[in-house]
Amino acid sequence: MNMVTTNLPAAPPPRARSLLVATGFGVTGVLMYFGGLFGIYLRERSLVRSDGGTWIPDKAHIELTPPGMIIWTLLISVVVMQWSVYSIKRDDRQHALLAVGTTLLMGGMVLVQHGWQLSQMNLVADEGPTTAATLIYTIVGSYMAALVIGMIFIALMGFRALAGQYSSRQTDGIVAASLYWYSLVFIYFIIWIAVFIAK
Amino acid sequence: METESNTADSASSSLEIGGLAGVFGTSDHKNLGRLYIYFGLMGGMLAFVLNILVRFERLDISSIGVFDFGSSNQFFQTWSLSRTSLLFFCVLPLLVGLATYLVPLQLGAPSLSFPRAASLAFWAWLIGILIHVVTVFADGGLGVPEPVSQFAQGMDPEATELSMLSIAMVVFALLLATICVVATVISQRPKGMTLFEVPLFSWSMLVAGGIWVLALPVWLSNLAISWVDFQGNDALRYGTVENIWDQLSWLWSQPMIFAFAIPVLGIAGDILPVSAGVPQRRYRLQQIAIGALGVLSFGAFAQPFFNPDVADQAVFVVMGLLVIIPIFIVMGGLADTAKQGKPIISAHLILAVVGVLSLFIASVLSIFHVSGAALGAVQELDDDWLNGLISWLRDVQGTVIATAVMEHALVAAVIGSVAGLYYWAPKIFGCRLNRKVGILAALAFLGGLMLSGGSNAINGILDEGDEVFRSSAYDGVWEPDGVEFLNLLGIVGSMLLLAGAALVLLDIVVSVLLNKGDVTDANDPWGGHTLEWATDSPPPVGNFPIPPVVDSERPLLSQVVMGGDEA
Repeated sequence: MNMVTTNLPAAPPPRARSLLVATGFGVTGVLMYFGGLFGIYLRERSLVRSDGGTWIPDKAHIELTPPGMIIWTLLISVVVMQWSVYSIKRDDRQHALLAVGTTLLMGGMVLVQHGWQLSQMNLVADEGPTTAATLIYTIVGSYMAALVIGMIFIALMGFRALAGQYSSRQTDGIVAASLYWYSLVFIYFIIWIAVFIAK
Repeated sequence: METESNTADSASSSLEIGGLAGVFGTSDHKNLGRLYIYFGLMGGMLAFVLNILVRFERLDISSIGVFDFGSSNQFFQTWSLSRTSLLFFCVLPLLVGLATYLVPLQLGAPSLSFPRAASLAFWAWLIGILIHVVTVFADGGLGVPEPVSQFAQGMDPEATELSMLSIAMVVFALLLATICVVATVISQRPKGMTLFEVPLFSWSMLVAGGIWVLALPVWLSNLAISWVDFQGNDALRYGTVENIWDQLSWLWSQPMIFAFAIPVLGIAGDILPVSAGVPQRRYRLQQIAIGALGVLSFGAFAQPFFNPDVADQAVFVVMGLLVIIPIFIVMGGLADTAKQGKPIISAHLILAVVGVLSLFIASVLSIFHVSGAALGAVQELDDDWLNGLISWLRDVQGTVIATAVMEHALVAAVIGSVAGLYYWAPKIFGCRLNRKVGILAALAFLGGLMLSGGSNAINGILDEGDEVFRSSAYDGVWEPDGVEFLNLLGIVGSMLLLAGAALVLLDIVVSVLLNKGDVTDANDPWGGHTLEWATDSPPPVGNFPIPPVVDSERPLLSQVVMGGDEA
């Protein structure tokens, strides 16, 4: 037994919040990506309107109910995700996992609502007369992709918590996943205001 | 004690996996770093070969797109691939490769943060560039130069789509690798090392990586919009073939282009004090200057496609004017350090000096590039001569001066990376590279840049347009014969740049793969100041037997304290 111990190389020092730091940079990248999309969207819309044009084609039906439901679902998911952080900090793994699962369920609901809305909008990307459809599909499609990545991240951290990797002494994984999730909620808030409310 | 040590050593070596399994299955930062370096040098050779082809086409400016290539479309593919390959296949992988290898060592860390993510990033990058190159040669690429039917030019829409997706994969992979590096700098520092005591190369990678993480996602958003628009039967604006490149070109323009050369200052800042045998003077000022260069090189806002007047706007002009200051401060600090000691002339020192000088020239050209707008904004005199000068300087903005700025900045990054390669070769390969070959490569790079970049700068003054793939770029050229002669010199320069990269690759093959390199004193042949020189060359698994504790930015020069005991 002693030989096995001495055969091992020196143990690495504890990683000092590497996951949180990397998630911070990742979130920054995601925010910049959507920042670039929003900048182009708002500028193009402004140009069309300043020329007296209509940004959203008349035949398109952009209802406010689905985006309203999505933003409420996401706002509730913030509370639920924070519940998982709260629970893991208190070694309450059962409630942490319950909260993680509920957040994933809400993420799935948001995806379904997005899909339903896209199917109802009657926006065709290559018909014109403006590029609104192209930009809306890019923004919403990118958001759905970012959401799926967020759900995978949360699920992965949930499995790690289930395996006992996270506890009150080490909460980085759950906190990092929640950080990414909150940034997604913030991004959707901008989409809700800039794309759907002020269409 | 001795037995334990030997057992530990044998255990470390048994953890190293050799052969193909070691290559394909590795997540060791040292293996990944070496792979990036090898492929980055090959990517550089591809970029320089393409640059030579582009220069050949510009030899006869009356028949652009006809002389060497079947169509202006193929010429454009070659031109755009020369740019994407120089940045994404050479400069960034070389810098990321050096950082992947060295940052954990400079910080005394056992490995890179997220080694499996770093491994994923490398393979995604490599597969991405292979797909991209193949699709460009299959009539894909990032658009075509003129607004005509894509099919009339022999363009393949499916290959174009794959080109866009593959280059997105490349950039995503490089971003992932960058995040691994910057997360390591922030979270894996040893006890006693604050951010202001991080070695200059690691610091410069932190600054540069931060700017890349801020800017490259914006570029990806441009690409995403183009891709979505390209999907329809008729692209409306962003995905129309003549518009795709225009939305992406800001990454190769100032001020953004300087962000890819920031680590050159860090590499020089690590090399010169060691060569002089004295501590770096005004260390924190150097760090602040490198940080300032990062701030002044953030160019995601400067997108001419969406903001055609950006080159005349105050922020753009001021950034173009100020970018020289941090470079000048770092150069001053290095000169001051050199004055304090007696620098030993070596290949890496010469390469580092050439790299920093190239970056300095890029910043001078940047000032020239924006000077028309700057003078126009401040002049109040009703002076015909001055107005004429301003008008001429404004015309310079649309010329190959912009290419000269790009070329100087990116080649500076290549030269700086090669300087780092010669300096850290004992650590990376376990032996020194050949000093004479290194000096020869430095001279080839210097001569190549003077001829290639210099000819572009003068051709800009002669009004050769920056979009060399469009025949309109040559309308109103002052002296067509002179432009063509300078393009001939540009070919010679590009060949010298290619020769420089080939020499470095050949030196690695001979010194490392054929075991001809000098292994004397490989652990610390230069008397290094930073932690990477405190371990074996190449370092064992885990890098350091005991986590080091440091109390300054030059722990080996002052005093190394390993695990609390004086070494």
